[in-house]
Amino acid sequence: MLKSKNLVPKSRFLVANSVIIIVFSILLIRFFHIQVYGHNEYKIRADNNRIRAIPTAAPRGLILDRYGQILVDNYPTYILTGLPNEMDNENWNFSVISACTAIDTTILIDNFDRYFRGRFIPSRITRDLTFEQLSCIEEHKHELTGINYIQFPERSFPSGVNMSHVLGYVKEIDRSLLRNMVDFEQYDVGDLIGWQGIEKQYENQLRGTKGLAFLQVDAFGREVGTVKDINDIKPIPGKNVFTTIDLSLQKTLEKAMSSYKGIALVTDPATGQILAFVSSPDFSPDIFTGNTTLRQWREIVSDPTKPLLNRITNGLYPPGSTLKMITAIALLEGLTIEQNEELECAGIYQFGDRVFKCWKISGHGKINLDQAITQSCNIFFYQAVQRISLNRFINLCRSFGFGSKTGIDLPNELAGLLPTRDYMNRRYTSRGWSRGHLLNLALGQGDLLTTPIQLAVYINKIATKGNTFIPHFLLSKVPEPTNSINLNEQTWIYIQDYLLHAVTEKNGTGSAADPKINGTNVYGKTGTAQNPHGDDHAWFVGYAKNGNQMASTIILVENGGGGGKIAAPIARIAFEHLFNKIIENRLAVK
Amino acid sequence: MLKTVYNQTSDMPLSIIIFTTMLTILGLISLFSISMDQFDEVGITTFTKQLFFLIPAFVGFITILFIPKYMIHKYIYFAYSLMLMLILTPFLFETIAGTHRWINFGLPVSIQPSEFAKLIVVVALARYLSDHNLQMKRFMTILFPILIALIPAVIVLQQPDLGTAIILLTPILPMLYWVGARPFHLFILVAPLLSIATAFHTTSFTLWAIVMGSIIYLTQPRLFFGVMLYFGNIFLGLLSPFLWNSLRPYQQKRILTLFNPELDPLGAAYQTIQSKVAIGSGGFFGKGLGSGTQTHLKFLPVQESDFIVSVIGEEFGFITIAIMLIVFLIFMLKIVKLAFLAKERFPGLVLIGIATIFMAHVFVNTAMSTGMIPVKGLPLPFISAGGSFLLSCFIMIGLIMKMGDESIE
Repeated sequence: MLKSKNLVPKSRFLVANSVIIIVFSILLIRFFHIQVYGHNEYKIRADNNRIRAIPTAAPRGLILDRYGQILVDNYPTYILTGLPNEMDNENWNFSVISACTAIDTTILIDNFDRYFRGRFIPSRITRDLTFEQLSCIEEHKHELTGINYIQFPERSFPSGVNMSHVLGYVKEIDRSLLRNMVDFEQYDVGDLIGWQGIEKQYENQLRGTKGLAFLQVDAFGREVGTVKDINDIKPIPGKNVFTTIDLSLQKTLEKAMSSYKGIALVTDPATGQILAFVSSPDFSPDIFTGNTTLRQWREIVSDPTKPLLNRITNGLYPPGSTLKMITAIALLEGLTIEQNEELECAGIYQFGDRVFKCWKISGHGKINLDQAITQSCNIFFYQAVQRISLNRFINLCRSFGFGSKTGIDLPNELAGLLPTRDYMNRRYTSRGWSRGHLLNLALGQGDLLTTPIQLAVYINKIATKGNTFIPHFLLSKVPEPTNSINLNEQTWIYIQDYLLHAVTEKNGTGSAADPKINGTNVYGKTGTAQNPHGDDHAWFVGYAKNGNQMASTIILVENGGGGGKIAAPIARIAFEHLFNKIIENRLAVK
Repeated sequence: MLKTVYNQTSDMPLSIIIFTTMLTILGLISLFSISMDQFDEVGITTFTKQLFFLIPAFVGFITILFIPKYMIHKYIYFAYSLMLMLILTPFLFETIAGTHRWINFGLPVSIQPSEFAKLIVVVALARYLSDHNLQMKRFMTILFPILIALIPAVIVLQQPDLGTAIILLTPILPMLYWVGARPFHLFILVAPLLSIATAFHTTSFTLWAIVMGSIIYLTQPRLFFGVMLYFGNIFLGLLSPFLWNSLRPYQQKRILTLFNPELDPLGAAYQTIQSKVAIGSGGFFGKGLGSGTQTHLKFLPVQESDFIVSVIGEEFGFITIAIMLIVFLIFMLKIVKLAFLAKERFPGLVLIGIATIFMAHVFVNTAMSTGMIPVKGLPLPFISAGGSFLLSCFIMIGLIMKMGDESIE
């Protein structure tokens, strides 16, 4: 092992020594050159020409609608900062600022402490300074030490729509937040970060790259100008995000929904693009910027109508009769029903020891599948659903997207609840699952809960014969297909026919949804969902088609009552708006 | 008990401990100065952290003293393979500060395994070169030891950490030289690198071609080999601009920033200027402890590790810098002397390798701080803050004590 002798010629030892001595001599000479020979020059630079690098904020990208109209903009605000090391008399500084801005000194000191990061880093004292406040501070500049103001781009919302659930908001990063962030090295205390909605989803696009301004400061820390031999690094603004939203449609629907709790959602089945997204009640997104008082904030949080809830992706509802198409598809696919087979509706139906009722007390009499959907007969479905198994029903629901997230590009979407046989047995231990539950499920009642966005995917699949795309907001996104469903072509045609009849026929429940525009066919289904929280929820799900233009609409009015009376007319407003415009555009082109 | 400890240690070069202590104390004083305006809820500063890190460092140092030489020799290949696994481990974790350099155990301190790769590569190289009675006159026999250093260097480069990768490669040449490799063979190793580096500048490339031609002519290798070597290198040089152009712009940018961080938008030019102003304004005697304006006004970047020498230069002046450099110089000469005096080849090679690593750190760190070379973050041994590096330095000191044997003097 260690036996080989260390035979090194003396010459090599001397070479090694010389290399070491030469390298250290070079280093010594270099230090001598800088520290002794160049001392005077560097001393002057250190004393008079200190260079300070100040990060400059990059404006976030704008959020625009599909036609380029601005939904979220930036506007410049002024922030007042104090450099702790240079504030000789903090109390005097704060009292002068307080006199100028009419903000209490305790608030100023609070802020100052909150943003404090070190004696030599400017800490924020207050923000959103008005021009008057600024000029007052400028007047008293000679009394202040270490106080500066910088421009800071903040979010503004010029379009007048709320859409707070979609747009989301930005949040200021504080110390505790920064400590818990994974990509902390890209952020600093006081930076803005997208915290909800599109602002969060597309944070990487919207966020720009901070720049650096190099300033010369004198021995007292006062800025005396820019630095000659270093160029400022310009901030790179964030990229704009074009959304699929149609601003005028959004406005129209926000207005139509303003007096209701509920949702209105318009998507394009052929692409998955979301044209309008109203979750009502909502709130103006600028409550998160500016100076929202604690009291206003508490009001919003404790509001019993839950304006903070995004009802479209996070509201869970029984879908009611809008789910009847699942049963119809199961029947048609399984060939367990004839096209014109009629079942008797007497207004009342006894199953075991339970009594089920139809909404039409007098009953529909003898009725076939087509009419059962058109007139939304319950008793037809109570009887027909017994021909299929629970597993078949649940699997079909699953392939239409119920019980799993749709993958919409918003954070924190919920998956809803699709009860399986296991789930039912666990939940109802004593009696387990019974066929009575299936009767409930067929009518979209009972344990099944969906989010409205899931209903949109469901109706889009029907509209496109299963070839629709995941709903999304990003206009430039290549649509991702949803999972495919294999149904007979004939089944799709039947179902679409039934939905058309439900709107166009005189006794169809959805007739109020038809804007009666030439060449535009409206397909739809109403729903009136019983729920434990009060009056029935009114639903309308459907789509309209004109040539190759399509749009689907989901309307929900919480505790609104009958779907045909309350929800369908709101859908008409959406269709009217869209298809009148499409026809206008066509005429204009001609 | 005490007697055996005395017998074991009496042969060791105790002067090494004196140098180490001096440098460590200088480091602690500078870190204390930096820590004066740090604050934290629990009073943890760079200084207190470094004090704490001295405990594992000292334990590591003592442990090495009690491991017999033959054990180190016997198990080094095992340690080498373990080290390869360890430097691959950070790739399994999320990046810290954008690199895969650290292993985070969920503790407040992270471990940087590549620091220990340096000394393990040196000992492994030493074993290989001493075990195999290599025919150092032949070129092919020096290729395998290169692999020993190249494998970890390539992994570390992926982290990405160019500084450590370069440090891993530096011991090869001095150690080969020490065991008697022909200088001309070492020249063959270095030539392709220089051919590529000079290829982008016509004058440099012409000069290099002349120098290379003269060296080959003077050493008079066999005609065919000489011609191949010369034109192979020229061809490589001519080819590299084309290879470069075939890279995508973002790849080019990544390579450029790796070698020249001044292209980094956060401004390495700014760092160099601030560092030079700090050092220069310190003058002969310095501004005094805690009075460095560049240091304390935070004009100086990464002052606790990469730019610690600027803090020393500003606050304690040229006189302290000169003493520090002279201590390092004597320290280096001492190690090389111990290497020369070593009876066996293995300890001698370990000593030369360790000397190279210390030398490379000192040179890169101080040359960077004074603007002689591009900014390349490497800490200064014993002085810069950092637990992993301090520990590996003290282990290397332990190895020096172990391998260096003064008794024959």
